[in-house]
Amino acid sequence: MTALLPYLRSRRFVVGLVVTLAVALLAVTGPSFAPHGQNDIVGRPFTTDGAFGTDYLGQDVLSRVLAGGRSILLVSLLATILGMVLGVLIGVVAAYAGGWIDEALMRLNDVVLAFPQILLALLVLTAISEPAWWVIVLLVGFSHAPRVARVARGVALGIVPRDFVTAAEALGESRARVLLAEVLPNMTAPLLAEAGLRLTYSIGMVAGIGFLGFATNPGAADWGQMINENRLALLVQPWAVVLPVLVIGVFTIGTNLLADGVAQVAGKGGQ
Amino acid sequence: MVNQHVRNDPRSAAPGAWLEMSRREALRLASAGVASLAGLGLTAGCGSVPAPAPANAPRRRGGVYSHGATGGGLKDTLDPHFPVTNPDIARCFNLYEPLLRWNNDYEVEPALAESIEPSDDALTWTVRLRQGVEFHHGKTVTAQDVLHTLAVVTDPKKTAPGGVQLAEVLDLKASRIVDPRTISLKLKTPYAILDQLLAEYTVGIIPTDFDLSNPVGTGPFRYERFVPGQLSQFRRHDGYWDTPAYVDELFIYDFADDAAKVNALLAGQVQSIDNLPTYLVGTIGNQGASTLVADSGAWVPFTIRVDVAPFSDPRVREALRLVVDRRQMIDQALNGYGFLGNDLYAPFDPAYARDLPQRERDVDRARSLLRAAGQADLDVELVTSTAVGAGGVESANLFVDQARGAGIRVRLTKADPNTFYGDRYLSWNFAQDFWNTRNYLPQVASCALKSSPYNETHFDDPQFVQIVRAASAETDEAARNRLLHDAQEIEYERGGYIIWGFRRQVDAYSNLVTGLKPHRYQPCDAFGFKHASFVS
Repeated sequence: MTALLPYLRSRRFVVGLVVTLAVALLAVTGPSFAPHGQNDIVGRPFTTDGAFGTDYLGQDVLSRVLAGGRSILLVSLLATILGMVLGVLIGVVAAYAGGWIDEALMRLNDVVLAFPQILLALLVLTAISEPAWWVIVLLVGFSHAPRVARVARGVALGIVPRDFVTAAEALGESRARVLLAEVLPNMTAPLLAEAGLRLTYSIGMVAGIGFLGFATNPGAADWGQMINENRLALLVQPWAVVLPVLVIGVFTIGTNLLADGVAQVAGKGGQ
Repeated sequence: MVNQHVRNDPRSAAPGAWLEMSRREALRLASAGVASLAGLGLTAGCGSVPAPAPANAPRRRGGVYSHGATGGGLKDTLDPHFPVTNPDIARCFNLYEPLLRWNNDYEVEPALAESIEPSDDALTWTVRLRQGVEFHHGKTVTAQDVLHTLAVVTDPKKTAPGGVQLAEVLDLKASRIVDPRTISLKLKTPYAILDQLLAEYTVGIIPTDFDLSNPVGTGPFRYERFVPGQLSQFRRHDGYWDTPAYVDELFIYDFADDAAKVNALLAGQVQSIDNLPTYLVGTIGNQGASTLVADSGAWVPFTIRVDVAPFSDPRVREALRLVVDRRQMIDQALNGYGFLGNDLYAPFDPAYARDLPQRERDVDRARSLLRAAGQADLDVELVTSTAVGAGGVESANLFVDQARGAGIRVRLTKADPNTFYGDRYLSWNFAQDFWNTRNYLPQVASCALKSSPYNETHFDDPQFVQIVRAASAETDEAARNRLLHDAQEIEYERGGYIIWGFRRQVDAYSNLVTGLKPHRYQPCDAFGFKHASFVS
């Protein structure tokens, strides 16, 4: 609890946490208090009936926004976790091993970094007619890994030469234990900040994939997909686009503030 | 000039590019977007967008006209006899012409032929060509060109959609050239509606020296350039026999995406688009464009292959038809711009079987049929694409929900236009397609016989074939219609289409142009851009 105190004193962190949790709560519990089912037809397309009107098929916009967050948040969260685990593993191993292993891993990393994240994902998605949700998790996660690896390596390079790591090695501890017990715990704050940033990018990417028409289920409510389906009628019935945009925007601002807060505290030596 | 057009290609915005922008670029773009949106609203409000041109507005000759066509892809073609997508069809109408043509009210009228007269027994038809019609390369259209075209479209090795029925009835060996402008067409059996077959746009007359790499026809525009999946460019045919085109140049652009298509129209990059999403009908008038609404017999069916399990069981096909809430399809997918279908096509044909009971949604009966067929937990994939045009993807989404009510799991796959109309076109097990207005027999020839080039349902029913053959040879209209009714009953019972409705054709054009009129046969005045001109 004491370790959390410096974070809770950071206004950015607190605001980010509250906003993030609020949107996450909305996404998780939303379907249970939605006025209609996500596929119920409640009127003609793009009318202003109901709180936020209807969409391109005459489905209730509010109900679809409430139902459309679960998948995007879950997929983004899992993709971020995957990207962080892979990236940290690569970065820490490269920093700790040094020499040609470091060179090889980082040059390979640079090659992957040269490609825009969304491009790699789209390359695979165009070859799959109906991508399963886990395919999107893998694609987004893998695309994060090189970026995380670069950060993790940079942080680890500052920790590996320190005395307590040398001491652990002198005591004969295994490499894995040195990494897991000595190096990684001292990287927590910058990695948390990076995780927050990656979560923000994950949401953007997953929403972007839905927007570009690669949703796992074309009929299901999905914030990114909703923007795509209804964007043509932005001037006719703006809520069908504006509402999912707002929720995605607020959520990414929340996760960004959270990441900024962690970085700020870490910068002041809060770890 | 050419490069400039490629640079200005209205479809060139790269999807996903925004994800790679810096924060500053993104903010700048967002501000510009908000400003332009606000601008759209403001300009609409203060009347600075062009108002619709009055009917007697002075028309200007010249200019470059661009049309945004729905769909198209790498399989795009200039072949006059094998068009598939809207851009292909639009090219056909502007490059080539058949002997006869359908007018705006869907009646046959003379085109390259000034008359086509049957003998009393309908076994011989005399075609009299119009005087002095020239192909784009200057050669005069002769009887020899007509016979050559008919030989090409009825070629048994590669029968064209417009030639399937012709191949059944025409006896080309016995047909003869009477003089350079007159042909005597001999038929193997009497055929009373040969004129309808010869009026199909897929029977465009080509010269004997036709070369697809540099195609010539007699249409109002001549070929300049073609980039499959992107655009085609044409120049006005100055020697055109009918009223020449007003504009100097014509571009037809492919649009895979409705938003890009509509935005191109509103930004003035194209002057007309086909298949405007119907929910924009009410607002597009405030943004400098007008709609063109025609009572067409166009349809967007679900296509079920009758030769693969589980669809080969007629009970499964019947169950799929019974889960459809047709009224909801029209209200939601077409926004009311359509009328009810009963799994039959050709609603303007006098033989249309109006007396067959209107199929209604009956979930209980659908479930019972599926149980009887051993498919109580039916799980199928439905393939759709934006290339199908207005109402396509929307009706597919509705179908998923409607089928769920009967315990059927429908997995919806949205294929991009290149894939949908690519190598797997005509082999999807359960998909969609679009068809424009046709009478019954020409439509059967296109899609319901084993030899039909677009038999997407793989329908091959011996009894049906026999009845269609008999009807084709029947010169008495009442007797023929009775036979066609029987043929429709077979399709109604065991065909491979779910035809839930017919859509009113809704297209749009810029208020800076005039001259296009509603057409019951094809979109955008049957792609009649020769009628279009810029207003002075």
